[in-house]
Amino acid sequence: MMGENGTYNAFGVLTVVSCAICLVGCVQAVPPDLVAAVEAIDQDLIALRAPETAPEEYGQFVRQWALLKARTQLDDELIRWPWESSDLESDLRWLYVMGERTVSQLHDRQVSQQRAIQARVIRLEEQLRSVAARIEAIDGRILLGEKGLQTDLLVKQARSFLEQKDYPRAMQAAEKADHALKVQTSLLSQELGRYAEESRITYWQTLAKQTIDWSRMHQATAIVVDKAERELTLYKSGRKVLSYPVRLGFNGMLEKQFQGDGATPEGRYHVTDRRGQGQTQFYRALALDYPNVEDRRRFQLAKRSGKIPSSKGIGGQIEIHGADNEQLAQTLGCIMLDNPNMAALYERVPVGTPVTIVGALTKKNAVASTLAQLDRGKEEI
Amino acid sequence: MARRVTIVSIALTLALTAGCADPPNQQIQEAEKALKEAQESGAATYSAEEYAKLEGTLAAMRKEVSDQEGKFGLFRDYGKAQQLSASAKAESDRIKTATVQKKEEAKAAALQAQQVAEEAVRATQDLVAKAPVGKDRAAVEAIRNDVEGLKSLLKQVQASIDKEDFPAAQTQAKAIHDMSQAVSTEIQNALAKVGKGKSGRRK
Repeated sequence: MMGENGTYNAFGVLTVVSCAICLVGCVQAVPPDLVAAVEAIDQDLIALRAPETAPEEYGQFVRQWALLKARTQLDDELIRWPWESSDLESDLRWLYVMGERTVSQLHDRQVSQQRAIQARVIRLEEQLRSVAARIEAIDGRILLGEKGLQTDLLVKQARSFLEQKDYPRAMQAAEKADHALKVQTSLLSQELGRYAEESRITYWQTLAKQTIDWSRMHQATAIVVDKAERELTLYKSGRKVLSYPVRLGFNGMLEKQFQGDGATPEGRYHVTDRRGQGQTQFYRALALDYPNVEDRRRFQLAKRSGKIPSSKGIGGQIEIHGADNEQLAQTLGCIMLDNPNMAALYERVPVGTPVTIVGALTKKNAVASTLAQLDRGKEEI
Repeated sequence: MARRVTIVSIALTLALTAGCADPPNQQIQEAEKALKEAQESGAATYSAEEYAKLEGTLAAMRKEVSDQEGKFGLFRDYGKAQQLSASAKAESDRIKTATVQKKEEAKAAALQAQQVAEEAVRATQDLVAKAPVGKDRAAVEAIRNDVEGLKSLLKQVQASIDKEDFPAAQTQAKAIHDMSQAVSTEIQNALAKVGKGKSGRRK
């Protein structure tokens, strides 16, 4: 009996020991935190847009990860003896290291891209400010119409996307803004390019010279207005007597075409009337004979060719006058002087005085220089 | 002898036939379809990261299939490709649902921004309407021109909403709002300069 009991006891002890060894000795094939770490690497890769920016590396990672993930779910791979090596764990560790390396590379690349986009947006904002100031200086804002606002909108959009960390869209908006800046510069060159045309400047110089020669020949006064420099010069017997800054129409750099366009006319005119105190709302005024014969001929031609809408009139009442409101920077097309200057001019100018209004008198005039600066800026964009 | 050769041949043929795996075409097609549906739902815009992951998974699946196809028939194994396609299919359904929600949120934000921008432009317009029409018109002419431009830019916001590009619509509306406020300030400064308007003259 004892022997039989002893055998049972020995068998029982052996069973318990075996179970204990099994329970204590069997370990999980894959540490759960390793699986979580690889999962986190996958998330990091996604956050770094690895599928777009590193498709090769990410593809390799995903294929390996899909395979290993499936293996972690197989029961026979989950438990092993402590002395058994785990291929699955080794593979996961390798994948983790590989993924981590890709994450690090992509992070560095992304940081440098973000800096580049940020720098580009900042540069764009500076360019826009500088271009806007130059355009304002040559009264080009109206000329651009909606285009200036469109560029501003795109630059602001680039800034918004940048702040939202949507770098691809920020870049896209920045590229569009670059293009819009170039377009508006081209449009200005097209509209005001005549200020840089040698033949046109020679023509204007000839007009001014003839006026000064006339003054010398007739021992009389004559006026030359240089629109680009916004300057009025009075000549007496062919000699410069005085020179004053002037303000022009709100579209003053353009050649006047029709009523309400805000342009200041160009050509040879004469003072037709002197309006003193109480005769004008602009302190003192010298009325000009705009439109003259040449203006009417040009106007009719433009109307016939459809360049001017048939409903438009030619306009009139162009004057050299003082300021009713000293704060106004522009006129509707007239030439405006500060009142003390207007008083001095008014005293010296009789009816019949020739007034020649030209675009520019030198090749390096203010408008041509601004256009050149804008053009250089366009190259830099 | 001849009988043994026949048995070996049959065994080899059976092994080869059984061993030549076919690509899981149906699953691949389903995964591709799911990607397309996710893309059509706007996932690339509204669930960009998840969509990128989906695209990455599909790319990995295509590569895997192509790698397997390059192997000798007996060694082909499309198990990994099957796992990838199944994972892509499941992910795409989740992404589509999340995208619908995010898109609705973006739409609401864009519409609100549009409304704010429209109100700002209207307020600017009202200010311009108070500007003088006489000789002092010159002071506000460039501003008037800008207000017309702003009204036109509002159409771009609507166009973006129509295209369901709500993030673009929102940034456009915000920019127009800011620009409108800047123009309003400019008008107020100009109006302060010109004071009371006077009657118009021919120019």
